[in-house]
Amino acid sequence: MDLELAMQSFLQESAELLEEMESILLDAEADSITAEQLGALFRSMHTIKGSAGLFGLDEIVRFTHQAENLLDQLRDGHLQLDAELSGVLLRSHDHVKAQLAAVAAGQAIPAGEQDNILADIAALLPPPAGSLPPAEPSSQAEPAADSDWLLSLRFGPEVLRNGMDPASFVRYLATLGQIQAIASCSSALPADESFDAERNYLRLEMQFRGAVDEAQLASVFEFASEGSQFIISPRAQLASHLQQALQAGDAAEQQSCRDIWQQWGLWPSTADNAVAAPTLVTTAPDTRPALPAGADHKTGRSSESKFIKVEAGKLDSLINLVGELVIAGAAANLLARSHGSSPLLESTVVMAGLIEQIRSHTLSMRMVPIGETFSRFPRVVRDVGQELGKSIKLEISGAETELDKSMVDKLADPLTHLVRNAIDHGIEDVQQRRAIGKPEQGHVWLNAYHESGSVVIEVADDGGGLDPQRILAKALQRGIISSDALLSEQDIYRLIFAAGFSTAERISNLSGRGVGLDVVQKNIEALRGTVEIDSEIGLGTTFRLRLPLTLAIIDGFLVEVGSSTFVIPLETVVECMELPVTPGDHGRPERLQLRGEILPLLYLRQFLELEGQPGRRQNVVVIQTGSNRVGLVVDALQGEFQTVIKPLGSLFRHLKAISGSTILGNGAVALILDVLALIQHATQQEASRYALEQEPYPAAGSRQPHNNDTSSGK
Amino acid sequence: MAKTILVVDDSTSLRLVVKMTLEGAGYHVIEAADGQQALALLDGRKIHLVLSDLNMPVMNGLSLLAQIKQHPDYRFTPVIMLTTETAEHLRQQGRECGSCAWVVKPFEPPQLLDAIARLILP
Repeated sequence: MDLELAMQSFLQESAELLEEMESILLDAEADSITAEQLGALFRSMHTIKGSAGLFGLDEIVRFTHQAENLLDQLRDGHLQLDAELSGVLLRSHDHVKAQLAAVAAGQAIPAGEQDNILADIAALLPPPAGSLPPAEPSSQAEPAADSDWLLSLRFGPEVLRNGMDPASFVRYLATLGQIQAIASCSSALPADESFDAERNYLRLEMQFRGAVDEAQLASVFEFASEGSQFIISPRAQLASHLQQALQAGDAAEQQSCRDIWQQWGLWPSTADNAVAAPTLVTTAPDTRPALPAGADHKTGRSSESKFIKVEAGKLDSLINLVGELVIAGAAANLLARSHGSSPLLESTVVMAGLIEQIRSHTLSMRMVPIGETFSRFPRVVRDVGQELGKSIKLEISGAETELDKSMVDKLADPLTHLVRNAIDHGIEDVQQRRAIGKPEQGHVWLNAYHESGSVVIEVADDGGGLDPQRILAKALQRGIISSDALLSEQDIYRLIFAAGFSTAERISNLSGRGVGLDVVQKNIEALRGTVEIDSEIGLGTTFRLRLPLTLAIIDGFLVEVGSSTFVIPLETVVECMELPVTPGDHGRPERLQLRGEILPLLYLRQFLELEGQPGRRQNVVVIQTGSNRVGLVVDALQGEFQTVIKPLGSLFRHLKAISGSTILGNGAVALILDVLALIQHATQQEASRYALEQEPYPAAGSRQPHNNDTSSGK
Repeated sequence: MAKTILVVDDSTSLRLVVKMTLEGAGYHVIEAADGQQALALLDGRKIHLVLSDLNMPVMNGLSLLAQIKQHPDYRFTPVIMLTTETAEHLRQQGRECGSCAWVVKPFEPPQLLDAIARLILP
């Protein structure tokens, strides 16, 4: 049997059970617990124990057994779920999780704080502490030498009704040795119509020889129901056996038994030797068939399996293939267009529609609800809050919001960091909160939603908010900015993401674990996402992570500069227009008035140092991330294009304005613009220009993106 | 014709192991995750034996047992309780409902097959 498969299934199931256990415990701390939840709690440990035993994970069995005892007491109402008990259970949960993780990694099961937890459990259990650990599978004693036995079997009248066939017991007995004589005693059988076909009237007398002991023989019949009586004796104890067997029945039965025994030479005490049948070697063949597994068994599928588990790698290669298909489809379409054959063009359009559907379906297969990640936070909030002596309420919304699986995995760490940060630095001490008239209990919100082609995740708190002055002072002190830097509020907030910045005067062992918020920003940027901060002193802070839906394929917008083609992620494109020709500025205005708002312009040709002269007519693509807008000046617009992202090699990792590449239908390579970097550059450029116009010195705080050390345009 | 065994347990991994054990011994296995699902499978098909857990959501093993023993078509079907419970009062309850056998988890595959072999033949 495929133990590896079973083990995987066990680990996965246990993880789910542990998750459920944790969420129930955390829920229960807030509200009262229902009987159903108590049952589920109990079953979580119970099921893990049961399955762990199958895999010989004795350490886990030993531990979960105690935890199960505790939960049993809780379920039966002998214990109340208070903070202490809940704490012990959560620690038990952690311990089992660690044990299972070690099993999954193929390591030795760690002792961890097992003894402490067990001691705590023992302290909570009312004496005498629980029942004994589950009986070890009875170790088979050394097979005894062949011996002769007498059996007197009176199956109860209900045995047939209970679904048992006395004959099957006898057949099973025959696998242990040799039945040398068997006779039925049918005196109880009624001769008239009072005969009940579902009732057992038979009594069996038997002589048996085999390498067994009395316990083994008794166990053959242990499943037989109430009302049955089995007398089993070694042949040597003939007299007492007959005595006992006789007592068991009425006169008719006794007579009929005596007849049998007489036939066998057991009654009356005629010679009790030499009668036994000639002895044969009685190693009865093992009757258990050993058919190869998986012949043609139809699998009974339980109704719960609405999901099919697919290896992530298979999905990835499918998505890769769909990516290739998208490109091939685009190529076919291009070819059809250049041939000018309209039926061909039509069919490629139909195909493109289908490919688009396949693409979105394939991608949706990788989408998982963010709730999977969110679900760990009640625990984080509880633990961190307790450690800091703060009472925190966590509210989660939008847990069903879906995003790419690969992204969900990478989000866990930054989100944890932000949540810890919110509790540690955001929310004030209880005394402080009381002093300013806030409710003592702090609030942390986790919120996820879709917004125009991206996923937004907010981590908000109702704490003290960010103090720009304090941040500025700290940044100056740390040498992150110079004293004459001119920064917007957003820029100041963003400073807390700078490496080496920590607003907390004291380093707690939670947020100050050596990694700062800069790691958060790096992680989010690696996912092509952005972080925004909203904050109001005294009211709280909101971190807003904006992430693309998927990492593999995007809807792109193709633009042309000179002979190069670039892709702008469509979700960032707001609108397009022709660049108005103005008499001043040598035809190159630095900003546009767009419906009353100033739109800074970025000339892609100059920015990327591409050769050639722009044509007479240039176009502006208005791109936006968050609340920042920039007009990107390009030569020509080519329109929408499904873009399969091919990541750039590590050689190009330092490129700021390029996030990837793709292959166009005609086989040419197009670079994907990193809109975030472009917008940052443009706004900084604008700020420094503005500063230049106001003051004689340029702003020292603005960073220059380095984009020009490679001829990336071609 | 392989005999059909209905395995009822809320643990998928346990069901998997039991299924592999039983199929390896030549039985045909159908599965249910709780008592309710198990009852839904008692739809006239031939089931030679039911192997059920005790602690399950929705409908536990003892209720399932009682239902089977009252079922017009399946009341003669032998039932084995496969459970970690060893408490005598539960066994007593089981006997009152008409249980046949009680196998304590964790089981060794030969042990389980033995127990089944006592009730039906493969």
